[in-house]
Amino acid sequence: MTTTARAVLLTDSADTALADAAGILQLDVVLVRPASELPAAIDAHASARAVVVSTDDPSLLRAIVEHASARRIPVVLAGENDVAYRRAIEFRVDDWYLAPASAVEISWRIRSALARVAAQAFGYSHRVDRVEYEEMLYDPLTGMPTLPVMLERTRGLIKDRGEVIIHYLNFVRYSKIEEIYGWEKLDQVLETTAAAVHEFLESRSLGTTRMMVGFPNDDDFIFLQIPDKGQPVPTEAQITEAGRQLQLFVGNRLEEVHGEDVSSLFEIFIGSSHVYYTPKIRFERLIYRGVREAANAARSVEQRERVRRTATLKGVLHEGSVYIDFHPIVLAETGEIFGYEALARGVPRNLRSPEVMFEVAAEADLVWELSRLCRARALAGAKELLKGDQLLFLNVDPHDFADPGFGVLDSIDPRRIVLEITERTAIKDYPKFRERLRSFRERGFRFAVDDAGSGYAGLGSIANLEPDFIKLDISLINSIDTNFIKQNLVETMVGFATEQGAMVIAEGIERAEELDTVKRIGVPLVQGFLLHHPARAGAVAGAHAGRE
Amino acid sequence: MDRSSAPSILVVDDNDDNAEIVRALLEARGFPVLVAHDGDQAMALFESARPSLVLLDVLMPGRSGWEVCRLMRQHPEHGRSVRIIMLTALAEWNDKQSALQTGADDYITKPIDLADLELRVRRNLALVTPHA
Repeated sequence: MTTTARAVLLTDSADTALADAAGILQLDVVLVRPASELPAAIDAHASARAVVVSTDDPSLLRAIVEHASARRIPVVLAGENDVAYRRAIEFRVDDWYLAPASAVEISWRIRSALARVAAQAFGYSHRVDRVEYEEMLYDPLTGMPTLPVMLERTRGLIKDRGEVIIHYLNFVRYSKIEEIYGWEKLDQVLETTAAAVHEFLESRSLGTTRMMVGFPNDDDFIFLQIPDKGQPVPTEAQITEAGRQLQLFVGNRLEEVHGEDVSSLFEIFIGSSHVYYTPKIRFERLIYRGVREAANAARSVEQRERVRRTATLKGVLHEGSVYIDFHPIVLAETGEIFGYEALARGVPRNLRSPEVMFEVAAEADLVWELSRLCRARALAGAKELLKGDQLLFLNVDPHDFADPGFGVLDSIDPRRIVLEITERTAIKDYPKFRERLRSFRERGFRFAVDDAGSGYAGLGSIANLEPDFIKLDISLINSIDTNFIKQNLVETMVGFATEQGAMVIAEGIERAEELDTVKRIGVPLVQGFLLHHPARAGAVAGAHAGRE
Repeated sequence: MDRSSAPSILVVDDNDDNAEIVRALLEARGFPVLVAHDGDQAMALFESARPSLVLLDVLMPGRSGWEVCRLMRQHPEHGRSVRIIMLTALAEWNDKQSALQTGADDYITKPIDLADLELRVRRNLALVTPHA
């Protein structure tokens, strides 16, 4: 090498193996910076060749990947567990390894990341790389072109018109959908979304050329609007109105296709920016700057909506405007109703989803109040609903146990109540938490671990809670009939539960094939739309009586 | 089974001996088999031959099996319909969850039991919708 510039490896990790790996790769310097400073360091060091990150902060990781990919520098993730590996996929880092790793392995990972990025930059000879290249240009799921392609296509048009409006569509909580239902479901939802957005834009004649772009951030889209010659650019009010209609349109479509539970999670925030063409600034920079502005605008819309929703929630708490849907849990063999899970929903449409409602409450520090209201409603409804020895399954947050008002029930026998604790909530102090559970157990309450097998904790931590019921994560049930790994995991869980003296519940059963499969595996209890939809207490009792 | 219409299988393993044993077994059962020795070769064969099923070793130099699995799943035309079985020495709860996350349909633990391999290949192929 004749170059005098010193090749730099940037990292936030103090792992000494990195220095050796850099040596193998003939990189001159390893610069260690705190993760929060890496995005700036990437911009600042022209001689940076690669970035190795170990941070587990998703927003930092996202920023680092964005900065690095803007400069075509590969990012390699050094992860400490398999969560890192999922992050690697989610954030599209160029490669990853499980730390600690040997210097040789690290150098391999960096080398392959370098090769990949170089291949992307300098054109493709190899067929394999072409596949990846196309993937970079066209989002495989939505079939939408990505930003670099769109810039090439629109360069002339934008120069000609002299201005362009960039809309940034921020779809929030899509990661929640993945978390709850698994990636297959998220793929389907994204497909539906993209199709609906297309259809919405097609149906409107705005006298403009509209271009849709898939953005590398998975769940966001960019939309370039180039007004036709002689047509005025849309006003702020027009943009806001169009955004509102789009949200409604896509929301309705999602509800049609995927049901209310999914659609009520859905939200979209639109920010826009107006970019004027100037030959003095490089076209790409102009557009990327506009995209960033639009993204910021979308974020501030989101902020405003948050404030509005907190106000709505306070209203809900004041007026007690929540209602409860009861979702039957049945015996797999006979279809007999074994119990009901209480699902609390806010009356205002934007708080219909329990997930969203509790998310807002957590932000506003109102979880206890909301929990109390929901519990009181659920118990009141259950009183008339429960027949024979049917049980009521109540979702509780581990923090609820610290609420002095929790567990004081005079309306209903604690032995009829199963408290569901989600595996998703990190429980920090297990011994203390188990102590709390014990006092409840002594009074007759039973416990279920919700979302078991969602990957947040292993079987050990489930055993720790000594549950009476284990509710399998929905993602394990979705398409279980065609996935043998899911079948194996559920089999393992059934065996484990039997050892622990617990009963397994498979929720999210939507298809007959899924029901057949879990029955064959020996899951005793099932729940899902295939069997029953959630319904208000009166409606459930009515339907139940009607069948008898 | 008629050889020409039998679904083809792509075996990806950097260890030649392993790959050849698997090839011999599957060919003896009438399946057309392709072998790739690393991830890039696997992607090239995947693109050109469009196999119905892929047997994919996890630990390979270069692209790991996980990564290859993910790339295959993202293929716009063929990514959804292909069945992918991971070959792995690791079969703890978390490894299986990782396999799920990348989009694998099944897994076989190493060392490979040939009867088990055949069973799993057949039950996965049974789920492939026949192309017209």
